[in-house]
Amino acid sequence: MKESIRRVTIFLLGLFIVLGAYLTYLQAFQGSKLNAHALNRRSREMSKTVPRGSIIDKNGNNVVRSVPAGSGKNAYYAREYVDGAIFAPLTGFISDKYGKTGLENSYDQYLSGIANPRFQLGPISRLWQRRGYNITLSVDGNLQRTAYQALGNHRGAIIVMEPGTGRILAMVSKPTFDPAQIDKSWQDILANPESPLLNRAIQGLYPPGSAIKPLVAAAALEEGVSNLQKIYKSPGYLKIGNYTLHEVNDQPLGELSLEKALALSSNVAFGQIGLDLGRDRVAKYFDKFGFNREPALALPAEKSRLPQFNKLADGELAQTAIGQGELLVTPLSMALMTAALANQGVIMKPLLVTAVTDTQGQTIKTFKPEVWLNPVDPQTANTVQALMEEVVAWGTGTAAKVRGIRIAGKTGTAENPHGPAHAWFIGFAPVEKPRLVVVVIVENGGSGGAVAAPVARQIFAEAL
Amino acid sequence: MLKTDVNRKIERELLGLVAVTLIIGWTIVASYTGLLTPLPLAGVLFGCCVIFVILHGLLRYLKHGGDPLLLPIAGMLAVIGLVFVSRLQPALLLYQLTWFATGAIGFAVITCWLRKPEQLRLYKYLIGICGLLLMLLTIIFGVNIGGNKSWLVLGQLRFEPAEFAKILLVIFLAGYLEEKGKLLADSRWGTGKFTLPHPLHLGPMLVMWGIALILLVIEKDLGAALLYYSTFLTMLYMASGRLFYVGLGSVLMVLGGWLSYHLFDHVRVRFDIWLNPWAEPEGIGYQIVQSLFALGAGGILGTGLSTGSPEFVPAVHTDFVFAAIGEELGLAGTLMILLLYVLLIYRGFRAAMLAKNEFCALLAAGLSSLLAWQTFVIVGGVTKLVPLTGVTLPFISYGGSSMLASFIILGLLHNISENG
Repeated sequence: MKESIRRVTIFLLGLFIVLGAYLTYLQAFQGSKLNAHALNRRSREMSKTVPRGSIIDKNGNNVVRSVPAGSGKNAYYAREYVDGAIFAPLTGFISDKYGKTGLENSYDQYLSGIANPRFQLGPISRLWQRRGYNITLSVDGNLQRTAYQALGNHRGAIIVMEPGTGRILAMVSKPTFDPAQIDKSWQDILANPESPLLNRAIQGLYPPGSAIKPLVAAAALEEGVSNLQKIYKSPGYLKIGNYTLHEVNDQPLGELSLEKALALSSNVAFGQIGLDLGRDRVAKYFDKFGFNREPALALPAEKSRLPQFNKLADGELAQTAIGQGELLVTPLSMALMTAALANQGVIMKPLLVTAVTDTQGQTIKTFKPEVWLNPVDPQTANTVQALMEEVVAWGTGTAAKVRGIRIAGKTGTAENPHGPAHAWFIGFAPVEKPRLVVVVIVENGGSGGAVAAPVARQIFAEAL
Repeated sequence: MLKTDVNRKIERELLGLVAVTLIIGWTIVASYTGLLTPLPLAGVLFGCCVIFVILHGLLRYLKHGGDPLLLPIAGMLAVIGLVFVSRLQPALLLYQLTWFATGAIGFAVITCWLRKPEQLRLYKYLIGICGLLLMLLTIIFGVNIGGNKSWLVLGQLRFEPAEFAKILLVIFLAGYLEEKGKLLADSRWGTGKFTLPHPLHLGPMLVMWGIALILLVIEKDLGAALLYYSTFLTMLYMASGRLFYVGLGSVLMVLGGWLSYHLFDHVRVRFDIWLNPWAEPEGIGYQIVQSLFALGAGGILGTGLSTGSPEFVPAVHTDFVFAAIGEELGLAGTLMILLLYVLLIYRGFRAAMLAKNEFCALLAAGLSSLLAWQTFVIVGGVTKLVPLTGVTLPFISYGGSSMLASFIILGLLHNISENG
């Protein structure tokens, strides 16, 4: 009996070792992850006594900061949002009742200060005056305001980024909300059928329409399926088995080079190119341009939705090549695709936060530009660039033209089951050394050339 | 110097440490919350120290040679419990002090009148029947408080019979298994090299399995069912030395668990929460998710006593007190608590190894297993290592029944350790 009692002792005390090891894992290694969880109320509770860090734009201006409020025993720190509605898709909100979203959530560890090693010292940390870290954005506040104004009263989104670094300079989503009023307006926001909480720039899923054609052109050039000499014929429609693909208004466009096909946005020519490429190669280039991946952004971006290429009928493949059918993309995906064409075929990782600093201005962490994907050769990218310049010069995108600046672009008018077509414009400038990628989508706005291109024009004019 | 005197001297010094912990803990809590005005605070401190002095004096007077570590370890755990009650639910502090005093009386009674626990052996069937009656009473007259239909209410007095039934059950099993242990160990069925115990000798296991299932189904007391059954299997192994019983018992347990998962909602819900509390972090998973947040917030050194936010965790002062300790004292605190339990349980098993007769050995080992399983189940539960079941953390959780029962176990271990 004594022998079995000894064994039981070892077994039961062994269980406690397991328990101790698990507790160590939980408290020492999982702690920061648990602290950062959106539903954890502790950082919100703490932000009342320990001021949260500020969110600062590229030019050093405050976007969000903590200010003392109340007095005496009820003194606490409140969050102050500068132009809250304009920056809301970026900052998100922080609320006692409704949790936290946006950068307030994803950078909570820094903003609240929990990531500060001093905060890990338990009771000893109280010897210092505690304050959260500041974060600096790549966003240019002035450009953000310009873009916000340019979109007017439309629903939609705008992304402006630097193709060479991946830095996002502006990210607009409309309709929006005021993060400072979130507790008061919560019910109205939830009841609003236009979902103001949705960050359309990274979470909105739309058919890209003709705005996808530069990708198809790049794929065709890279694969040798097409070249600048090849001529396509458009009688106004393309019969594929039982399915017929139509030009806009069934207008016969006659004989088309690749340049003319893109400038006039010929559905027939690009449907044909899609068929020439075939399912596998079309799928390959969507993957190469990052549509199948989650870009590691500081905010929760949606992945674009691609059709199951191997199950597509020929008609559906042609539809996909003109950006219709089951294909749904986010404006961010489109911006990254455009960036590849602007940047010698290289896509940089999208960057939103460039640095974390403490109150004394000491840098805690910086985020450097990094290469993400390399979908096509520089040659291919430059060829497509030249084609896209023609779109703005004399094709469907003339409304984006700014005197004295060489702009490349592509419009899209995406049919969808929710009403009038979505208006797209994707583009970059100046062509000789692209500094700016602009993606505009206007939900149910109608024609891309007429509605989205002028919005992009205002941004190009302001920024360059 | 006599061994008794040496032991009591060690005990006195360790109890002094416990008192220091108590004074520091309460000073911190009082200076932060300001809820406890100095006078009642001093009263409670004084009352607590008086209890230690009386218990220690009594053991000296009795010339008790029991293990000098047992009382200080339990005292330390109880004191940590008192400090956390004053921090989490100051209004309940006086009650908890009363429960502590009740526990101390229970301990004193056992040490005075049960110096030779082997006397219990003669009454094992009576004790077993009493245990069953207590359970039966709960099934018939049980009142649902806090989700478990496991409370008896007598006028002003409310208590959980399961806390006491488990002790009676261990005493009964110690007597019964000591008697039948040899039979169970030698039982052979079949011929040749590999033989199994005779099916007739599996009767006790089936009875115990049935009792656990009844607890589970009628009282919805998953925690008690698990605790009883695992303690029983542990004791069965210790008495027989045959892993076969443990294997068969585990199969039966899994079978019972599987059946009740499919048949009973309350079991299924608990199990699903364990598998993925993040599926409904604001719904059924709320409590465990909040507990994990609290433990994570503590990190390595904790936020410091009184400065965390453990009040976000429901039932934090009873079943979830461990989460509050984890938040405010950090990993350092939780590991220290575990170490205290490990020491206590180790000393319990040590008493078993040194016991003069098999009954006492089995009793001490059984009671130590009970403490070990109970601690493991609740600490594992609030940390999501195992499914959460509603049992208390011995000596620390708020509650009278649990405190008294824990001190009765301590008293029994203390007496057995004397005769080593």
